[in-house]
Amino acid sequence: MLELKNIGKIYHAGDQEFLALRDVSLKVETGEFMAFVGPSGSGKTTLLNLIGGLDRPTSGDIILDGINFSDKSRDELSFLRRKYFGFVFQSHNLLPVYSVYENVLFPLLLNGEKELEVRDKIMGLVEQVGLGPEAHKKPHELSGGQCQRAAIARALVKRPKLILADEPTANLDAENSYNILELMLDLNRKYGAAFIFSTHDEKVTRYLKREVRLEDGRIVWDREKE
Amino acid sequence: MIRWLILGVARDRTRLLFPWLVTTVGVTLMITLLGFIEGIFMGMVDMTAKLDTGHLRLVNKPFYEEEHLNPLDRALAAEKETKNWLTQNSDSKIQWTPRIRWAALMDVPDENGETRSQTPVTGMGLDVLPGNSSEINRLGLESSLVNGRLPERSHEMLAGYLLAESLDLEIDGTVTLLGQSFDGGFAADNYRVVGFVKFGVAAMDKKMALVDLGDAQTTFYMEDMVTDWLGFLPPKVPIFDYDKIKSDLQSKLTKWMQTPPGDWVEDDFPILLSVLDQRNMDQIFRTFLMVRKVLVVIFTFIMSLVLWNAGLLNGIHRYGEIGLRLALGETHGQLLRSLMIESLIIAALGCLAGSLLGGAFVYYLQEVGVNMGDAFVQTGMMFSDVMRGRLTPSGFLYGIVPGLAASVLGTLAAGAAIYKRSTAELFRELEA
Repeated sequence: MLELKNIGKIYHAGDQEFLALRDVSLKVETGEFMAFVGPSGSGKTTLLNLIGGLDRPTSGDIILDGINFSDKSRDELSFLRRKYFGFVFQSHNLLPVYSVYENVLFPLLLNGEKELEVRDKIMGLVEQVGLGPEAHKKPHELSGGQCQRAAIARALVKRPKLILADEPTANLDAENSYNILELMLDLNRKYGAAFIFSTHDEKVTRYLKREVRLEDGRIVWDREKE
Repeated sequence: MIRWLILGVARDRTRLLFPWLVTTVGVTLMITLLGFIEGIFMGMVDMTAKLDTGHLRLVNKPFYEEEHLNPLDRALAAEKETKNWLTQNSDSKIQWTPRIRWAALMDVPDENGETRSQTPVTGMGLDVLPGNSSEINRLGLESSLVNGRLPERSHEMLAGYLLAESLDLEIDGTVTLLGQSFDGGFAADNYRVVGFVKFGVAAMDKKMALVDLGDAQTTFYMEDMVTDWLGFLPPKVPIFDYDKIKSDLQSKLTKWMQTPPGDWVEDDFPILLSVLDQRNMDQIFRTFLMVRKVLVVIFTFIMSLVLWNAGLLNGIHRYGEIGLRLALGETHGQLLRSLMIESLIIAALGCLAGSLLGGAFVYYLQEVGVNMGDAFVQTGMMFSDVMRGRLTPSGFLYGIVPGLAASVLGTLAAGAAIYKRSTAELFRELEA
């Protein structure tokens, strides 16, 4: 489904160049539950951003379902993000003035869908992530774990092929982290969307089916787990 | 999507309050200022029309060219025939009325019949006797009476109250008008002064006397003659239409001149003028339009600057949201459009509040006005003592359009910063 070919990424800061990724190649199949692991500055988030079309590689190709992201315009990348990806962030990043329901609704509005037609779908998903009674609460009325659940519902609502989650448990306590991971695993099974995390949280790695370790912008190892 | 945006605007005060306040204040100021200026200008037009020129004026060309001399020998003959022609050929909205402009020496005798005081006066002969007069209402003579009453019978006169003061006139006192008749002879006639009038125009209060049209025709030997036919249009007719109404009538008048009334000689053919053709009103009108445009541009510019800054601050406040929305797949164009829609919603609310407030201020200025009589005592301009605003649809338009335009321009300027930044950069700001 997703193929990275010889990806390199260089950041420029004044005259300085910083090599964030070098020659990264890998394949991700439908329904995978995997993560990029490694220390801070190893290139996990950069790689996630490149996969998600938020940034462009300096070299190499990112191919999803036969579409090469490297030669796409800014607007085309936006369209591809809308179509193929769901995002879960370290901080939940819910829109603060909107309720859980409205936050989940937003990606569908971007796709041009009418609220009346998707109301049941949203409520079903909100209930599935355990936020039925909180559907009309604003983020500031929810706990961190509840916010992250809402963010997961938002990422899943348009049934994307890939969910990219950047350190999704970094701001959660152990119990909430486990709950969130259980939920993601459950949804991964139910919807078949591939989940790709970036993390250095050991709690996360226990749930993974595949780990790709990055160090200094390179893949050190890539292994399936039993 | 629009509902979703409206919800956001309604719930986020930092997004709503400042731009709304700026638009409200701007629109209020614009509507009030322009309403007041338009009121002053249109008040001047109406005052000039009522007291002097009509909205349209049919007058002999030679008379018009030398009207400062009141050349009665160039007056317009065939009063009755002209009246019929005007009634039949002009727009039914126009009310036509005949007037005679005259000038004479007013002599005030003492109890022995000797001159007690005298002064040159300019006067107007018009229909002021009860029965068929529309002029009493038009000039607001009843409410303008300072002392005495309106004329009820022949040879009764109204005098400007400052003229009465300067000549020490008394109610029911007799004055003699000494002047030149239509045919160049000597004209003298006695009038009884029955009332003093405050026209509200200092120039007229000091020099003007009003008599009945029929009396003026008798005094100056002007049977079946008048100096002017004045046409009055209802207030709802926009000033921009005056020229068209005039030119429509002018073309009919040109045809009529091929078979004119028998009493008219060729060099005495009348011309048709609008109020804008006289007393330099056209120049004043153009100045008014220019001032209005300049004000609109200045206000739009200032409001745009303020709203641009508000947009930038709002952009900083909403970095996270903007980065997130781009990450979720909204394009820069969609994002800018939604910011524009938001700003238009806020601007519409500001325009609504500004229209209500501005409308209320202008309504107050229209109904109550500001008395500036003292400032114009020494001027000869036809300003009313009380300056009034005027509530018109165009006044609202000139307030609302800059309000909306400034909002769009301000948001575009602020949005350009978002447009230029890459998604990755905005996303990093979101994550920071």
